[in-house]
Amino acid sequence: MDQPRKAAWKPPRDCEDYWSEFRHCKTLLNFFHHYYAYGTTPSCQQWKEDYSYCREWEKHGGKEAKEALQNSERNRVAQQRNFTPVWELRQEPPRDWHMPLNQENSQDS
Amino acid sequence: MDQTKQDEEYGYDLFPERNKGKQQEKTFGQKLFTFNHKCQVMLQFSIETSPYAKLLLSAMKSSGCEVFKKRHFSCEDCDGTVSGGFDATSSQIVLCQNNIHQQSHMNRVVTHELIHAFDHCRANVDWFNNFRHLACSEIRAANLSGDCSFSSEVSRLNFGLKQHQQECVRGRALRSILAVRKISREEAEKIVDEVFDSCFNDHEPFGRIPHGAKEAKFAYRDYVNRDRYSSSL
Repeated sequence: MDQPRKAAWKPPRDCEDYWSEFRHCKTLLNFFHHYYAYGTTPSCQQWKEDYSYCREWEKHGGKEAKEALQNSERNRVAQQRNFTPVWELRQEPPRDWHMPLNQENSQDS
Repeated sequence: MDQTKQDEEYGYDLFPERNKGKQQEKTFGQKLFTFNHKCQVMLQFSIETSPYAKLLLSAMKSSGCEVFKKRHFSCEDCDGTVSGGFDATSSQIVLCQNNIHQQSHMNRVVTHELIHAFDHCRANVDWFNNFRHLACSEIRAANLSGDCSFSSEVSRLNFGLKQHQQECVRGRALRSILAVRKISREEAEKIVDEVFDSCFNDHEPFGRIPHGAKEAKFAYRDYVNRDRYSSSL
């Protein structure tokens, strides 16, 4: 059997996605929404940088561009996880999710 | 515990059709020209077109809780002004057909209740005994569903700007808890305060607070690409 070939690295998002996020970030509406939710002004520079790293990687495939992108996205992930959960995550979905309804309704007083 | 007392303890008295047992058969006329039919049609439209709902439904399927419209949604008449609810006992989302009359409202209610269902699916949420869990899910649902968008608040004549979303989320979470549980306002406020920072910042499965359909579509795009995203890091 052939050895499985290691899949070539692709950037976390399509380069156009970075650009569309940047464009959206710069809109007046987004400024408004950010201020309405957080009381601060949004920071859009990182999207623009990530777009240029993405394009750089597409053209030349450089290690610096790849690592810069990875670091930027890891930072985003860390920001999204920056809270202590109130509950414990399940290992499996609830067993009765798919049970038929008449089996659920055991309303014994 | 006496059934009536238990109903009031957990807010089931707001949803009087929940205890009726077997669903009553409807005539063709009843099916076509009633709030029930309108509710079903609006629900279908939400499922098919709302990027918020589509993302949540995908996330639930991936978590092992695929949602089936006939099994997991129920259009019913409800008391008062309540718009919907999530019944963890039967794993059903209740939509109040007598109180939801606009598609935009239906979209929000479906999103709100799907967030509860999503939390139920992915976490050990103790809906009945742990008020912190209940508060957390209400904070998330108010925050992420569009319940507290600027336009929603303005339509309620609540005018606020800087960080007003947070004020709205607190207030709506408080109201939701007080509607379904018998505790004092002070107690409820204390619980909301305790869990607010954690739960306001938990944006699963959206990855952001989606302010409108465009951001919800971006969030859905990110969700669809999540495998590529995580493997690239």
